[in-house]
Amino acid sequence: MPWPPKIFWAGLVLYYGFTAICWIGEATMGWNHILLGPEIYAALLGTWIVPLIMSVIYFYFPEKAEEAS
Amino acid sequence: MANPIVVGITALYFLGVIAIGWYSRQKMKSATDYYIAGRQIGSVVNGLALESTYLSPASMLGLPAYVFILGYPFWWAMSAIIAGMPVATLLTAAAMRKYGPTSFADYYADRYNDQRLRWLVGVIVMFGAILYITLSIVGMGIFLLAILRFPYLYGVILGAVIVMVYVVFGGMIATSWNAAFQAVLMTIAALLAAIGIINYFGGLAGYHQAILQNSPTFFNTPSDPKPHHILAGTWLGVVGWFFVWHYGFATMPYTVVRFFTVMDIKTARRSIFWCTLFAGIFYLGLEIIGAGAKVMIESAHPLIQQGVVTKGGAVGVLKYYATTYGVGTVTDYSMVAAVEALQNPWILGILCAGGLAIAMSTAAGWVMVVNVLVTRDWADMMLRSKFAKENPVLMARIVSVIFLAVSMVIAINPPGLVLDLSGWAFVVIIAALGPSLVLGLWWKGATRTATWITAVVMFVLHLYAWLYAKTVLGHHSFFFLNPLLGLPKTAIITPHQVWAIPVGFLLFIVISLVTKKPEKEVVDKYCVKLTETL
Repeated sequence: MPWPPKIFWAGLVLYYGFTAICWIGEATMGWNHILLGPEIYAALLGTWIVPLIMSVIYFYFPEKAEEAS
Repeated sequence: MANPIVVGITALYFLGVIAIGWYSRQKMKSATDYYIAGRQIGSVVNGLALESTYLSPASMLGLPAYVFILGYPFWWAMSAIIAGMPVATLLTAAAMRKYGPTSFADYYADRYNDQRLRWLVGVIVMFGAILYITLSIVGMGIFLLAILRFPYLYGVILGAVIVMVYVVFGGMIATSWNAAFQAVLMTIAALLAAIGIINYFGGLAGYHQAILQNSPTFFNTPSDPKPHHILAGTWLGVVGWFFVWHYGFATMPYTVVRFFTVMDIKTARRSIFWCTLFAGIFYLGLEIIGAGAKVMIESAHPLIQQGVVTKGGAVGVLKYYATTYGVGTVTDYSMVAAVEALQNPWILGILCAGGLAIAMSTAAGWVMVVNVLVTRDWADMMLRSKFAKENPVLMARIVSVIFLAVSMVIAINPPGLVLDLSGWAFVVIIAALGPSLVLGLWWKGATRTATWITAVVMFVLHLYAWLYAKTVLGHHSFFFLNPLLGLPKTAIITPHQVWAIPVGFLLFIVISLVTKKPEKEVVDKYCVKLTETL
């Protein structure tokens, strides 16, 4: 059975895990009321940096595997 | 009255588009060049083209408008759209490039060994295409209004004509290079406007506090005692918004076909990195603009300062545009109005040029998708039309004109905000065609019968549910079965009836399990081999 490579799941865990932690922080500790909190974790990290890290690992590791084989 | 600096910047933009179109046209020698750019597009150009094609006026106008309405929780929907880009890398993009088809329907016809699927896929995609070309023309109308200060109707007509000329004479090479240019422009535009707004309030802290002073509940989530808006007032609603567009990049035809145009799999994967890099910056800008739109308009918009609008605040300004210029969906103008409030014609000029860029590239991308479906799949392959076979580019151009004309008529009085049209198209296509695309690649058990039944059932069911929620319950976000379950119509919030996506996947799996499996050699060729060593 074909199955997406492990690195695919690692990327998903990174992004969904990050989002879940932020939402739990908002629901339990009110992170959304910290001055500039949402701008940092939802905008800068959630909308740009974390997806960008995903995109890097999604091309870097498959290429590395191809070179090794 | 039109500002000459704004008009001048827009004129420069058009000169750039024409120059790139003219240059790339010299390179177009065959129908393959016209459809898929001869598979010669590199990772940076393709990544930028992906950004400007995927992100439409629904992004540039619609997302800030929804942040304006729903408040901060909607930022997470925007985050999910960007994160959906890398998800597509390994889910569909690399495999689809390895497969290397010409049309979006090719994969369905080959994987499920049924050429008739070209008809079904074509019909569903065309529904989405009409919505998307419509919202692009609405965007053109709004930006042309901001530039030329003439009625929205004129902007819609002029916008449709501009896109027509642009696509009809360009094809995919012109759209690839121009789309890359447009991506850079719209990213810079959003970033400049966001920096302008932050500067106006004296920095990020001042910006944040100005929003809170103007709208104390803006940053509230469903866990706070008073959410900012009912549609983002429950966690189910927030999660629903999060998933409406999230898997679109992996499954929507206008991005999937862009994976066909690149040189190889490595380029396909790397192009998504470039796309995520620029699109993330673009969305950061839009989040800042959307959140600051209300306070910006109410603090500094010329219509309020000059006493033309005296009541209603930001909504009063938007209503003024509706009554004076005939803009059908006024909230869509909030983003432009916020930038107008900066009273800087250079920023407004670049924003409008960027807005035209995003509208043109999206309309062009969708027109190319339907061109290929109608000309190649339907007329040439299914109907064996001699005319289509001998004159593919001419026929594609005729198809372009027809679709643009129909969309232009709808755009005059659009059935919803631009983001409403976008979400509707996304959920219906992902729910109806997403399961057979994604599971067709990753699951040997996916069957032809499941493809037909899921596509037909989810297309009809979602169409009904969305229209019922919108017309009878009052908004597409109210779960269409609320009344049947004996609940108040606003009890369960499911934006764009997003439940259809998991239901579509579930339906596909269940039917696949009980129906006849496709031939082994077909499964090996279009499932196993395509997903090996990604």
